Amino acid sequence: MKPAASVLLLTTLTGFAYGLLTWLGLYVAAGAPPAARLLVLAGVGVGLILATLGLIASTLHLGRKERAWRAFSQWRSSWLSREGLAAVLTYPIALAFAWAQYRAPGSPAARSLGVVTALASLGTVYCTAMIYASLKPIRQWHNRHTAPDYLIYALYSGATLFALLHTLAFGTAALAATLAALGALCALIAKLAYWRHVDAQSPIASLASAIGLPKGTAARPLDAPHFTENFILREMGFQVARRHAAKLRRIALVVAFALPLIFSLLARLGTFPLASSALAVACAALGLLTERWLFFAQATHVSALYYGRAV
Amino acid sequence: MTMLPQRGPEARKMGLVIDLDTCVGCHACAVNCKEWNTGGEAGILPDYDKYGEKPDGVWFNRIHSYETGSDGCSRTVNFPRSCLHCENPLCVTVCPTGASFKRAEDGIVLIDTDLCIGCKLCSWACPYGAREFDEDSGVMRKCTLCIDRIYDESLPEAEREPACVATCPAKARHFGDLADPHSKVSQLVAQRGGTDLLEELGYRPTNKYLPPRRAQIQTTPRETSGAASQGIGGALLKLLDKALSR
Repeated sequence: MKPAASVLLLTTLTGFAYGLLTWLGLYVAAGAPPAARLLVLAGVGVGLILATLGLIASTLHLGRKERAWRAFSQWRSSWLSREGLAAVLTYPIALAFAWAQYRAPGSPAARSLGVVTALASLGTVYCTAMIYASLKPIRQWHNRHTAPDYLIYALYSGATLFALLHTLAFGTAALAATLAALGALCALIAKLAYWRHVDAQSPIASLASAIGLPKGTAARPLDAPHFTENFILREMGFQVARRHAAKLRRIALVVAFALPLIFSLLARLGTFPLASSALAVACAALGLLTERWLFFAQATHVSALYYGRAV
Repeated sequence: MTMLPQRGPEARKMGLVIDLDTCVGCHACAVNCKEWNTGGEAGILPDYDKYGEKPDGVWFNRIHSYETGSDGCSRTVNFPRSCLHCENPLCVTVCPTGASFKRAEDGIVLIDTDLCIGCKLCSWACPYGAREFDEDSGVMRKCTLCIDRIYDESLPEAEREPACVATCPAKARHFGDLADPHSKVSQLVAQRGGTDLLEELGYRPTNKYLPPRRAQIQTTPRETSGAASQGIGGALLKLLDKALSR
């Protein structure tokens, strides 16, 4: 599948944003110190700005941007519609949460709004993940890994951002850095498990079944319908050289997970906490963009079978 | 409305039956489809870089040719590919705007291009690659089963069929109601063992494909193998063949 910049930015930025909002909500629900008033206010601001940037990026690939509002209407059947609604609903909830925590830190209202913010944020990420997980023609997405993985990456990347904001506010990353380090470890394991799963999958269909011939019939393309690329090949037939993919996987493992793990541990131990937690965020962002690029580039679509591609 | 309509077993299922035995791969159906739909109610079907190096455009119908079989007994199968108007179309349910829909009365899957935002998700949801994006108007496009022909009462009744069916010189394309067991298309499917494409994915396509029949005429391989020509004569022939092949 073509790794379009708009969807890479959408899923990565909203991962950071809703992950951060989740941790802020849980932080207050678990009894954040009154001194964290400004941290929560600023954190919700950062989260909502990042989410907005991601959502704006997602509209860039639309053919008719001025009609984007119509996407809120089909929530009964469409995960994309549900994602849009959940994202919009999260704004007033998160703002009410930030306001409640600012006016009366640790009040029951602030705490319960914290839980609701966390649920709304995770719900939005889940809807995004289900857009991909529900697509039957793409075996690398339509599996049991996609939805939990998106939630794990959101919680992990949000934790690195939370640790950075905590360091900016209090000078130490404290528990937030431990969360980020644990998140990096979980995300690393989740990614390895995902790659192991998709590498071991067998093709969901063969060319014979795609053209209605009995299973096992040998079939190979003789003449293509057209001699230049069309929409289907550009959008669904994206190919990445295997050796490049292997190299990018190693880069993603190091930059997205291993380096942030080390930097988060350094921040936790108090070694240049600000620089360490900032580097953890920067590496996580770059690495997760690479990981997301691979999630698209290595996904194959059944329709490419008609053009003789392996899927 | 992207929820699928409640359709009872008696609901009409208008669709195509395509005979892979008689299709000659001439692309006439694709060309007439393009011709009708670029001027019909569906509006212009765009072409990009028309006279350039990489011409491209939106087509509702694409004709592939495959070689099937092995051990020197292979055959050519020409394969027209277009929307199958599935009973379980994921392309409809993923649509966030309600632009994609399946008609309750005849099962035809359509796009309301006035509602489409061009997110392309429906094209990802279709395993048959039947939807193509219109870069000029920023919306998705697809086969309409020539909805502006099949119900047009100003046309003579015999012409009320999709453009691809009307033009096929090999009569490899048939149009009708696949829910009616007595229709010509249903009987063709029953007689010839019509199949669903990618049945394992569960989209339940309406259009059916009739598999190529077994060859009726026995043919013998025309090229003699190297082992058949032995001796000095054979060696001379080989030498001659080599010299002439230069």
